[in-house]
Amino acid sequence: MPKWKDLQEQSFLESDARARAIGLLDEGTFTELAGPFDRFYSPHLEVLGEAVEFDDGLVAGVGKIGKTPVFVVSQEGRFIGGSIGEVGGAKMVNTIRLAIEFHDELVTKYPDLSDEEKPVVVISFETGGVRLHESNAGLLAHAEVMDQLQKARHKVPVIALIGSKVGCFGGMGFVAAATDAIVMSEFGRLGLTGPEVIEQEMGKEEFDSSDRALVFRTTGGRHKYIMGDCNALVANTIAAFREAVAELAALPVAEFEKLRRIGSPEAVERQLRGVALAAEMQPKDARDVWAKAGNPDPVALTDMPLGEFLAGVKRLSV
Amino acid sequence: MEATETMMGRGRDAIDMIVDAGSFTEGTIGASTFDDPEFGPGAVIGTASLEGDTVTIIASDANAFNEKFPVVYAGIIGMEEGYKMAQAVYASLAADADKPAEEKRPLVLIVDTPGNGPGKVEEIFGMNKATGAYQLALAEARLAGHPIVAMVIGRAISGAFLCHGLQADHIVSLDANFGTMIHVMPLTSVSRIIRKDLETLQELSKANPVFAAGPRFFYALGGVEELVGELDGMRPAIARHIKTIRDAKAAGHQDELGPWGRGELGAERQGRTVRPEVIKLMNQEFAAVAEKYAPSR
Repeated sequence: MPKWKDLQEQSFLESDARARAIGLLDEGTFTELAGPFDRFYSPHLEVLGEAVEFDDGLVAGVGKIGKTPVFVVSQEGRFIGGSIGEVGGAKMVNTIRLAIEFHDELVTKYPDLSDEEKPVVVISFETGGVRLHESNAGLLAHAEVMDQLQKARHKVPVIALIGSKVGCFGGMGFVAAATDAIVMSEFGRLGLTGPEVIEQEMGKEEFDSSDRALVFRTTGGRHKYIMGDCNALVANTIAAFREAVAELAALPVAEFEKLRRIGSPEAVERQLRGVALAAEMQPKDARDVWAKAGNPDPVALTDMPLGEFLAGVKRLSV
Repeated sequence: MEATETMMGRGRDAIDMIVDAGSFTEGTIGASTFDDPEFGPGAVIGTASLEGDTVTIIASDANAFNEKFPVVYAGIIGMEEGYKMAQAVYASLAADADKPAEEKRPLVLIVDTPGNGPGKVEEIFGMNKATGAYQLALAEARLAGHPIVAMVIGRAISGAFLCHGLQADHIVSLDANFGTMIHVMPLTSVSRIIRKDLETLQELSKANPVFAAGPRFFYALGGVEELVGELDGMRPAIARHIKTIRDAKAAGHQDELGPWGRGELGAERQGRTVRPEVIKLMNQEFAAVAEKYAPSR
């Protein structure tokens, strides 16, 4: 593992799960839970004769940023696409649960607990969702994560980070949507149905999954920023993500409600206005929506430098 | 097992078989009305009574086609459907906002859905938000005291089952003789994708329910509380589960219900035995260092 200082300017996109977990937190504060030395690997992969990892492709733990206890989940795309099985799923679920329990314990013990001393959860997504080798257990774990996200509401903010190679798809696509705040890089991708599956369902003329530019402008960070589906778009370094987390972690928990996309009747009303727009527009391409948002030259938005994009882009308002 | 009549594609029939005769009013929940027939036609929502109690019904209509979103048919939950289902939950919460927890109306989810809308427009606008919104609403209602029972009558497939079913307090399923499908993918597709031959997988699934398709495997994993072998067993089973759920909530045993409760059930039924070990170890490891992460005073 490189030194903490060297991790900071490392590409978030290229970083493995542990480097992201360690680099996001203050130096030397990370404690891994159910880590590789505990050797909890998937018994189901073993039965199938597949290679296992002693962390099951998911790094869980706790650290600090400033005064804030930060519970971290970091998914490893290099291991079976960051997929969720019984062990990794349990680690994800229980990390959030531990954060909620720790919150409850701290507020009881310290009546003067400040906002920045309250725990947050950070999830660095890199996953296609359910691991097919143990699909039923993976599916059930997703439901548990959604349950914990709701239980964390108004107590422990949950922050999603999306900027890794695999993106965030399948069931984890709605897990991310259900968090309080989403930070992406322009290389991050977020969706429900992966590009190959849409092509399979709708035909290549409708969606060509080998067209990388098309895939990125349908699910990539810049598109999600325009749609309001992520709150912040940051540079592709661990330091940039870390800085975004630090800013968010200092906010009072009530502020997170305003950052959410879903989770209240009002938010659903707002999303439905977007759906009505989708029905009206029947966009053939995400660029149609960018133009609708008030961007006169949507084609140029794809390749301009990030700073220029952030300074000039109009975000969709419905 | 002998195959019997299937309920697949018959969500509306199932409502009639479950609720008190003639009691279902579609499109009205408390003070909310849903009167646009073109809005989320794949989602059937409304109010009925079950053994005299007011309940919210949420189901899918496999015969509906959403003209605005052509990927939505055959019971698929599209963006409008997902948000409409979420609104049905919020309307139930609002209707009983002033009632004590033990009087909050039950929600009955009738599950027969093959998937979420798999389209380009859906991805551009964010199908993930619609399915996520409905799940959060269900979890909120469950934690607020509303008993939620999911009744699987046909297809409970992957993300659509997560969306519509897996956030319930308890899940009841028609048994395999009704052709009930609960899975992420059929074993044939799993076999192709993970490159293991079908015979091997079929053999392995006899001992390990973790990847095979069907309600009995989910039962073994604690993913379904009860299997029902008769159509006229649905109604009494749902009523019974509502009572059990109410009692558990009244006793403060929320952790025996919902997804977490099914996790415990999975261990009890020996279907998911590593999960509790991982959780236990993490709890111990965190307890050992927790002081380091508490504020210094």
